[in-house]
Amino acid sequence: MFEICAEPRSLEGLTWLSCYLTTPKHAAMYYSILTVLGLLLAVVPPILFLGFAGALARRSKIAPVRWLGVGYTSIVRGVPDIVFFLFFPIALDQAVEYIRHKIKCADVLEPVYQGNDFVVCQAAKMPLGIADQFYHEAWGFSLAVITFAIVFGAFTANTLHGALNAVPKGQLETARAFGMSERQTFWRVHMPQMWVYALPGLSNLWMILIKATPLLFLLGVKDIVYWAKELGGMKTQVYTYAHPDWRIWYFGALLVFYLFLTWVSQRAFDRIFARASRGLSVAS
Amino acid sequence: MLQVLFQGLHRNTAILDQLLTDTTGPAETPVIELRNIHKSYGDLEVIKGVDLTAHKGDVIALIGSSGSGKSTLLRCVNLLETAQQGDIVISGEPVSWSHETANRSPKDADQVRRFRTNLSMVFQQFNLWSHLSVLQNVTEAPVTVLGRDRADAEAFGRALLEKVGIADKADMYPSQLSGGQQQRAAIARALAMEPSAMLFDEPTSALDPETEAEVVTVIRELAAEGRTMLLVTHDMKMAREVANHVIFLHQGVIEEQGTPDQVFKQTKSTRLQQFLSSTQ
Repeated sequence: MFEICAEPRSLEGLTWLSCYLTTPKHAAMYYSILTVLGLLLAVVPPILFLGFAGALARRSKIAPVRWLGVGYTSIVRGVPDIVFFLFFPIALDQAVEYIRHKIKCADVLEPVYQGNDFVVCQAAKMPLGIADQFYHEAWGFSLAVITFAIVFGAFTANTLHGALNAVPKGQLETARAFGMSERQTFWRVHMPQMWVYALPGLSNLWMILIKATPLLFLLGVKDIVYWAKELGGMKTQVYTYAHPDWRIWYFGALLVFYLFLTWVSQRAFDRIFARASRGLSVAS
Repeated sequence: MLQVLFQGLHRNTAILDQLLTDTTGPAETPVIELRNIHKSYGDLEVIKGVDLTAHKGDVIALIGSSGSGKSTLLRCVNLLETAQQGDIVISGEPVSWSHETANRSPKDADQVRRFRTNLSMVFQQFNLWSHLSVLQNVTEAPVTVLGRDRADAEAFGRALLEKVGIADKADMYPSQLSGGQQQRAAIARALAMEPSAMLFDEPTSALDPETEAEVVTVIRELAAEGRTMLLVTHDMKMAREVANHVIFLHQGVIEEQGTPDQVFKQTKSTRLQQFLSSTQ
């Protein structure tokens, strides 16, 4: 990066760091911060979608829909997250490839499951073997988003379900008594009043979500924890540069990074909460 | 006492005026007509065949001890509760039911909404929407349900808040108001619908004696304006002052009814006598 770095022997003291921290491998670590932030932003809409779908399903008057909502939230909440993170991406990946195999390679007679191997034809690979590296990473990232959304959607559904129930019945009855339809009652009164009960739970979930992002490595996405371990270590797969064990510094930086992220989040949530509780006596 | 007399006189002349100007055509259609209303929760029958007719300008007070079914009857009128039996006719139009059995429900959602906008309700616990300012509470239903223009609704809303004496509270939240102010805001909200009748469900029961007086004053003014009202109350003084017809409900049936004088001074039934002596 810098010209002086071309000759390592000429480096002294902290100048050495200026060369070390700007290597392409470190650029990959900085880039992985964007991966984490990108994942956090990308999962929020599907989490909220699944959360609302689950919460409303549990309130449905149609029994099978209600069972679906209860089943979803209970199963996901009852199974260890890490099991889901191991199970879902593989299951999803294989399911997609299996379906593509059945459609695109109907002429292949060999079974897909051959002993311990899962074999699909080349055309069914997801993404295709010849595809750009970018698509491979994007596919892995998408699987991560879907898995996070399913797991956290269930917890969100539970939080929203509780919040919807916490709105005083008199508030909703009054809306109906003034001629509002069920839809208007929901959007004009129920939803605006629900947030104040949902936000403490949602802010908890958001914090847990931030802290769960290192689980990305289970899904094969290289996140900052992966890079901190690799670059801080003395000798690893990616780096054989001779330096002492610096993991404590790298993990220290991670600590600061995650603390900063959660601190900013908490401040944002405090503001949202103040906005949502305007006029509600719970705030005073 | 003199004031009460004056008000009685005032109303009587108002009714007389109405009678004099309204001599053409057949008798006026009642605003609210209930025929043989029955309502039960499971095996517990709380209303056992009640008839009630409210013409335009009538102020009907429903009195009775707790559990006599008076609040339930009121809630049956605007269909917050479903009466299992009997007819409910609003301005000549009967409620259409899904079927005529015990688990019937109103058939026509549009009709239910139309009736409810026409019979606005004031609740014991005020039930102002807590996330909206006082003015927004008053304009919410006129804008979203009746489709009024927001600016018009706000101007009308401010005028109504002025009328009930809390114009300066328009931009505050309900939780910042006293109970009496909240109930007056709730009355303004009900008036904003320009209903053909108002339903009051124990409007003063949740208030302390001082703020109660503010609300009673407003209700008395509304009665004097000739508004049609059904008033469920524990406040015998208010019933006597405001109503032109008093109904005493006991265990789901009308035990006695008549003018305030008939009911309160020439009481016939022993149950009503007991009830009145216990409330004094």
